[in-house]
This record gives sequence, structure tokens and C-alpha cells, in this order.
Amino acid sequence: MADLSVDIAGLKLKNPVITASGTYGSGKEYGQLIDINRLGAVCVKTVTLKPVAGNRPPRLWETPSGMLNSIGLQNDGVDAFIANDLPYLAALDTPIIASIAGTSVDDCSRLAKMLSALPEIDAIELNISCPNAKAGGVIFGSDEKLAADVVGKTRLATTKPLIVKLTPNTGDIAAVAVACERAGADALSLINTVLGMAVDIHTLRPQLGNVVGGLSGPAVKPIAVRMVWEVARNVGVPIIGMGGIMTAADALEFIIAGATAVAVGTANFVDPQAPIKIIEGINQYLEKKSIATVSELMGALKID
Amino acid sequence: MHQLTARIVAKEEVSQDIFRITLFAPAVAREAQPGQFVHLYCGDHQSYILRRPFSVHRLVGGDAFDVLVRVVGEGTRWLAGRRPKDSVDLIGPLGRGFNVDGQFSRALLVAGGMGIAPMVFLAGKIAENKVKVYTVMGAAGRAQLLDFMDLKRLTRRIAVATDDGSQGYKGLVTDILSKEIEETQPERIFACGPAAMLRSVAGISRRHGVPCEVSLEARMACGVGACLGCAVQARDAYLKVCSDGPVFTTDELGW
Ligand SMILES: Cc1cc2nc3c(=O)[nH]c(=O)nc-3n(C[C@H](O)[C@H](O)[C@H](O)COP(=O)(O)OP(=O)(O)OC[C@H]3O[C@@H](n4cnc5c(N)ncnc54)[C@H](O)[C@@H]3O)c2cc1C
Ligand SMILES: Cc1cc2nc3c(=O)[nH]c(=O)nc-3n(C[C@H](O)[C@H](O)[C@H](O)COP(=O)(O)O)c2cc1C
Ligand code: FES
Repeated sequence: MADLSVDIAGLKLKNPVITASGTYGSGKEYGQLIDINRLGAVCVKTVTLKPVAGNRPPRLWETPSGMLNSIGLQNDGVDAFIANDLPYLAALDTPIIASIAGTSVDDCSRLAKMLSALPEIDAIELNISCPNAKAGGVIFGSDEKLAADVVGKTRLATTKPLIVKLTPNTGDIAAVAVACERAGADALSLINTVLGMAVDIHTLRPQLGNVVGGLSGPAVKPIAVRMVWEVARNVGVPIIGMGGIMTAADALEFIIAGATAVAVGTANFVDPQAPIKIIEGINQYLEKKSIATVSELMGALKID
Repeated sequence: MHQLTARIVAKEEVSQDIFRITLFAPAVAREAQPGQFVHLYCGDHQSYILRRPFSVHRLVGGDAFDVLVRVVGEGTRWLAGRRPKDSVDLIGPLGRGFNVDGQFSRALLVAGGMGIAPMVFLAGKIAENKVKVYTVMGAAGRAQLLDFMDLKRLTRRIAVATDDGSQGYKGLVTDILSKEIEETQPERIFACGPAAMLRSVAGISRRHGVPCEVSLEARMACGVGACLGCAVQARDAYLKVCSDGPVFTTDELGW
């Protein structure tokens, strides 16, 4: 057995495979189908201060090798999360990453503060793919200054490892990444979904009730690997890579491109065993190649 | 809820482009309730990856069950191409089915098109409790009137509507529903079929003051309540078709 453990800003994971926010509910949905304790960590659905109803249906559309979703961050709010979801998570023997988002800097720092006070939560992931209401709805993560502002203020509100989740829907993701690192992010995770759209040519209507949605799954993987590589060259903090990971080989691409850990999202829908198979596959690869620890592979990309 | 590899033990084309596929999956067959569904992984394709949901059509002995699959796209075409001894990856049984434990002694089943899928299972289950079962079913034509003989056996009275008039009334099930309600005096109505039909069944049931349950469809990703992708607008919140449903009371939906 190779050493699969990794360290993300002091957060020790037994292996580098995390379940991606929003695709794993609060864990218990999948707890009946797999042994969640084998996962490196569970990152739960993004929570907001107040309940969010979510977007109007339909919210899903399958695309070649992927899917569009327009869930719209539906959640019952942080209080309901603490009351209803946390007890199940607390009983797990794997680190819990809480994901937070808000439409103002203040919301984000208040959420970080509330959740940091809970011993059951091991790290905070700040999802900056949300619009900033004060900045006229511009997405926090699409702008270096907005990103730095929200990360800096959230940083002050928590002592737990702060992971910032980047959106690919920006001109220069490396610049945003650098801004987040400077503002105090302990780690970066990327990518969130890629903005997309599909049209029903018979009804002349969009396939999603929200018109546009986020693309995920294998279709986005090359974009995600490229972005992880670009960000890794520009920052020093650990990276959690994701976007279309279905197999151990996919996960290894991200690690070789510079990720310390990976997250599995859409693949859970296809096969709930996917994260377990990925953990086992990474181990097999390392053993076969006689690589003692997974961290040796991190950023091992050779460019001739 | 289980994830397992189910072996296909039989497949038959019961009507043009409609296949009955028998899956050997004891754990699922033992737990399944009428109105629940299974989420099938339809192939090892790179081009489309999501599972497809199918109602549990009926139990076959104690260890197997049927799904009734209409070919409408790539996933269903793949499924219809399977043969006995092939296998499919399955998650199920999933969702909340029809409320068969309720206190009622007369029930009317309303099925439109592929909405027939859960009805024989449902009719059999409620008939066990000495409930008098009646059926109204509709289809494009006589050839698409699936399970007619089984439902005829299980129910006291069966009314049929076909689009082309090749059997029964020429028109929609909802055209003849009021008359059937008046003549059978049901205490519950259970409906499955296209969304527009269900809306109309809900309205007619309400006018007759009969509580009604409908089985909805929605595009699904996870099928287990984790992704919130299958939302349906209910009376005061979005509910998940895969785990709060697929069967809802029309009251819950505010229909
Ligand atoms: C709870 C439930 C029970 C169902 N039971 C049956 C059944 O017993 N027999 C049967 O033949 N069909 C049933 N359906 C519909 C069946 O799931 C779709 O026909 C099937 O997903 C189509 O897949 P495809 O690849 O052939 O078609 P495509 O049109 O190529 O599929 C494209 C995408 O849309 C989704 N999709 C397409 N049509 C539907 C639909 N009607 N409902 C939900 N998602 C859809 C697919 O899953 C896929 O992701 C049920 C649907 C639901 C939600
Ligand atoms: C249905 C769905 C819901 C999602 N919800 C969230 C969310 O609430 N917060 C978040 O940070 N990312 C969310 N994501 C993005 C994923 O966490 C992940 O970044 C993205 O899907 C790419 O990975 P994948 O291709 O493995 O799914 C969601 C993705 C999907 C498909
Ligand atoms: S399909 Fe994921 S919640 Fe229903």
C-alpha cells in the first residue's frame, strides 16, 4: 500500500479524494451505498446565511460527456444545516469541509465565524462563484479585487484552514488565484462549473428554467486540468483539483499537473462507488510505478 | 437502497419500441413498493453518462422484477439492445411510492401511455388489502394498451380511451374520468402518465373531492436526493422528485 495521505494547510487527509460540494448532499444520501469513512474528506453542499429557494426547474440537462445544472445554491440556510445535517457528519471518521457562499462580504465572514466555532467542521471552503450584490451582481471570483476583499475579510473570521473555490468563468484565473493567496487563502480548489446553455429547438426555449447553467463532467476536464496547471505555477498554496474526474487516471492527471488533492463531483451520480474506485486506482498506480507517496507525484509534470 | 449488478433474465418486445426487461435482483425485489423506481446505468458510453430512472413495473417471483422501457433516445435504445445474461448496474429501489397503507376501500387507477408502468404492481398490492380497484387507462391505440388483461383481472372495472379509437372511447382518459369517478365512487385516485394529463386528473379529482396521488417525472442526476436537480415546485417549496416523490399527493403540490 502506497502512502496516500496528503496535507492541505494542516488538514490531514488519509487519501487525496474528496467529494465535491453540491454533488454529495450532506453525505447521508450516499452513506447507504458506500463507506464514507474511506473518503479523504467530504465537502458538503454550499450553505448560505438565509435559506435559498433555488432556481426554477428544469434544473438539469445532459450534454455530451457532461451535464448542465442550474440548482441555484438551494439550501435551507446555515441554522438548518447545523441542526439537521451536522449530527450525521459529526459521526463520520473523515474530515468535514463546510462550503459557504454569500452575496456580500459580510455574509461570508459571518458564516465562516459561525461554522469555525463548531469542532465538527475541519475546514471552510469559500465558494466565490456567487454574485456580489453590492458590486452590481458581479461574481466575486471573476474579479481580482472583489475576490481579494471577500477572502481577506473571511480570513479574519476563521482560524480553520480556509479553502477558496475558484470559478473558471473569468478571464485570468491565475490572477484571481494569486489575489486569493495574497488575501490569506490557505488552499485553492478549482474548478467550479463552466457557464453554459442549451436550447430546445422544437419549443424554441432554453433547456434550463434558469436559461444558463454550469457544465460539469468529463466534458470540462481538459479545461480544468489546464487551469490547475496554470494556477499551480503561480501560487504556493495547495490545490484541490476537480472537473470531470471519473477515474483514477483522471485524478492522477490533476495531481501531476499540480494538485495536492482532488474532488469528485458528477462521477458520484454515475457511479456512487467512483471515489472509492479512484482511491484504489491511485494506490495501484503508485504501487505499479514504485512511487512511495502520492505527494511525490504532485506537480511532477515534465515538459520537454 | 442498494447498488448492485442485476442480471437480465428475460427481454420481450411487448409493443413496437416498448420492451419488458426482467432483472434478477433479490434485494431490490424484496424491498420495492409500487411507485418506486430504479436508476439504471445504461451502458459504458463516454457520450452520455447519467443513469436513467424506470419504475418498478412488477415483481416476478420473489427475486426479480420487470421494467417496462419505451425507446425514446440513446439510453433506452441501449437498454432495449441488452440480452438475457447481460447485466446492468442498478441503484434502487428509490423514492417514495404510492401510499398503499391508507384507509380506503375503493381506489381508481388512472394511467396514460407509459404511465401504465407501475399500475399492475400497485393494483396487486392494494387488492391484497381487499380494496376494490377500478382502472381508467389511455394509450395511442390498441397496440399500446399494455397490461390490459392483467389489469382486467385485478380490477373490477376497466375503462379505456385511445387516441385513434381502436379500442374503447376515442379521446383522452381525462374525457371519461368524471363519469368513471361517479360510477365507481373511489376514495383514492392514483395516477401516472404525462404531466398535462396528471394536472388534469388532479383538477377533476379535486372537483369530485377525491384525494389524489400522482407520479411525476423529472430529469435526474443522482436519483438519491443529493443534487437537488429534480426539483418540482410544490405548494410552498421545491420538492425532490427522486426522494420526496416520485409520487406526491396533489395537496402537497398545490395542484
Ligand atoms: C421516476 C421516473 C420513472 C420512469 N419510469 C419509466 C418507465 O417505467 N418506463 C419508461 O419507458 N420510462 C420511464 N421514465 C422515463 C425514462 O427515464 C426516460 O424515458 C429515459 O430517461 C430516456 O432516456 P434516453 O437516453 O433514452 O432519452 P434521451 O431523451 O436521449 O435522454 C436525455 C436525457 O434526458 C433524460 N430524460 C429524457 N426523458 C426523460 C423523462 N421522461 N423523465 C426523466 N428524464 C428524462 C434522460 O435521463 C437523459 O439524461 C421514468 C422517468 C422517471 C423520472
Ligand atoms: C448538481 C451540482 C451542484 C453543485 N453545487 C455546488 C455547490 O453548491 N457549491 C460549489 O462550490 N460547487 C457546486 N458544484 C460544482 C462542483 O462542486 C464541481 O466544482 C464541479 O461540478 C466540477 O466537478 P465535476 O465535473 O467532478 O462535477 C455543483 C456541481 C453540480 C454538478
Ligand atoms: S436527482 Fe439528485 S436530488 Fe433528485
